[in-house]
Amino acid sequence: MRKRSAEPWLLVLPLVALLLIAFVIPVARTLLASFTTDSAGFTLSNFTRFFGSSVSLGASERSLRMAFIQTIVSVVIAVPLAYIMAGLSAKARAFMMIATILPLMTSVVIRTFGWVILMGPSGPLAKIPGFLELSQARQGLLGTELGVNIAMVQVLVPFAVLSVLGVINGIDGRLREASRTMGASFVGTFRHVVLPLSLPGIVSGATLCFALSISSFITPNLIGGAQLPVLAGFIYHDATVSNDIPFAATQAVLILAVVVVTIAATNRIANARMK
Amino acid sequence: MVRSTPLPLRIAGKVFLVLIALFMLAPLAVVVGAAFNADQFLAFPPAGLSLEWFADAVADTTYTYPFLFSLQVALIAAVGAAAIGTLFAIGIARHKVPGSGALQSFALSPLTMPSIIFAIGILQTVSQLLGGSAAWILMLAHVVVTVPYVVRTVLGVIARSDGFTEEAVRVMGARWWQRYWHVLLPMCRPGIIAGGFLAFIVSFDDAVIALFLRTPQLQTLPLAIYGQLEFSASPTVAAVSTLSMALTAVSILAIEKIVGLGKVFS
Repeated sequence: MRKRSAEPWLLVLPLVALLLIAFVIPVARTLLASFTTDSAGFTLSNFTRFFGSSVSLGASERSLRMAFIQTIVSVVIAVPLAYIMAGLSAKARAFMMIATILPLMTSVVIRTFGWVILMGPSGPLAKIPGFLELSQARQGLLGTELGVNIAMVQVLVPFAVLSVLGVINGIDGRLREASRTMGASFVGTFRHVVLPLSLPGIVSGATLCFALSISSFITPNLIGGAQLPVLAGFIYHDATVSNDIPFAATQAVLILAVVVVTIAATNRIANARMK
Repeated sequence: MVRSTPLPLRIAGKVFLVLIALFMLAPLAVVVGAAFNADQFLAFPPAGLSLEWFADAVADTTYTYPFLFSLQVALIAAVGAAAIGTLFAIGIARHKVPGSGALQSFALSPLTMPSIIFAIGILQTVSQLLGGSAAWILMLAHVVVTVPYVVRTVLGVIARSDGFTEEAVRVMGARWWQRYWHVLLPMCRPGIIAGGFLAFIVSFDDAVIALFLRTPQLQTLPLAIYGQLEFSASPTVAAVSTLSMALTAVSILAIEKIVGLGKVFS
């Protein structure tokens, strides 16, 4: 028998202490700050200010819309991609793994820089005949929502792929074979066996994409620019340039609320579906 | 053996893979291409090959100081995260800690918190309680965001190893430090190294937290690049970005060699 000792606690404590001091306290202070102003104590005035401002509401609407579009597109790309990847030879899978992870691990600033070159008025995309007319972007894709969406999807796809891949790899391969030998087609197997079983991964990938999208501002700022402000961009500006931390915190808390509600809702849907 | 995926679907699958790989890698390739461009404007495809922008980048203190600072921050964050994360993972996996499930979710929670919310909290805490940002605060914040990666990789490695060796060593009368030094740490080593590399990359490439904690002295490499992009992008920025990507790529290859990317990322 092992005797009771302090050893496990000594091992666990440093991380718990670190997170309590350097993570929980800062996040809690953000939450609290949203209910204060420089002059008053507890107040809801930041929230009334937010919901009374057409600029804030406009940016929120844009942020929400783009986050939805980007999440859906990312998932639509990621699910078949993960499905195909799971069946590849080791070598081909390693290549696709690098193709997803190398961008994931590259600084968002650098990736966005690549998109700025690609999407500029003299970039390669603008040279594709009909591309500009089709996207109605005469000056290239910079400053358009389409441009931001394309660049953001490239940022988000790896997160979705990895979430889905984790679940697909866990699916017993015999289930797929059984479905095929019982006469189901490739697509039928995908629809009735693989898709339902990978739903948890799809849901967690989608919520992750949504949370990342709605709180990102570097790519929207560099590609969308000042004409297409997003909520997270306001937060960055208010916190660092205008030094209005309470209002920045308020907007951040609203983003967090949207994310939490989304996670709760999608979990519910997924649980209901799996019963 | 069932291997009757219809041919058109197989071809469609291959085309899809190629298109996605292109889509994922194009922005990176374009930056590398622009860095080697002989022309003095940013352009792709390059008009001719030249290394002069790399020479520029290495000579320009606008980039060399932030590079060295980023390197310093990332190294310290990685070592800190590796140390704290490893202890935690060993504690959770090798002992019966009450509430270990909750503790584990708590340890991984910085991964799910949007970093902008954490960044504001740090900025506010720092400006109200500590009178301003400092290098150690940025490092500490990076330890917080990167430590979950180490916890995950080390837990993954421990889960695949057996607990009997440690038990045997204990029964044979090994001192606690002998148990750690000769058994536990070597056993966790692949996880510690992979997690450390991950922590290094995440810290080295972070722009969000660094932007909120930025002062004229605390300028990391992604911030230096971001600043140039807001102003005007030059081939020198492309060269700097290429060098930074090379460092990331080397780290990823190291992770792949040590534990395999598939195991770390899912």
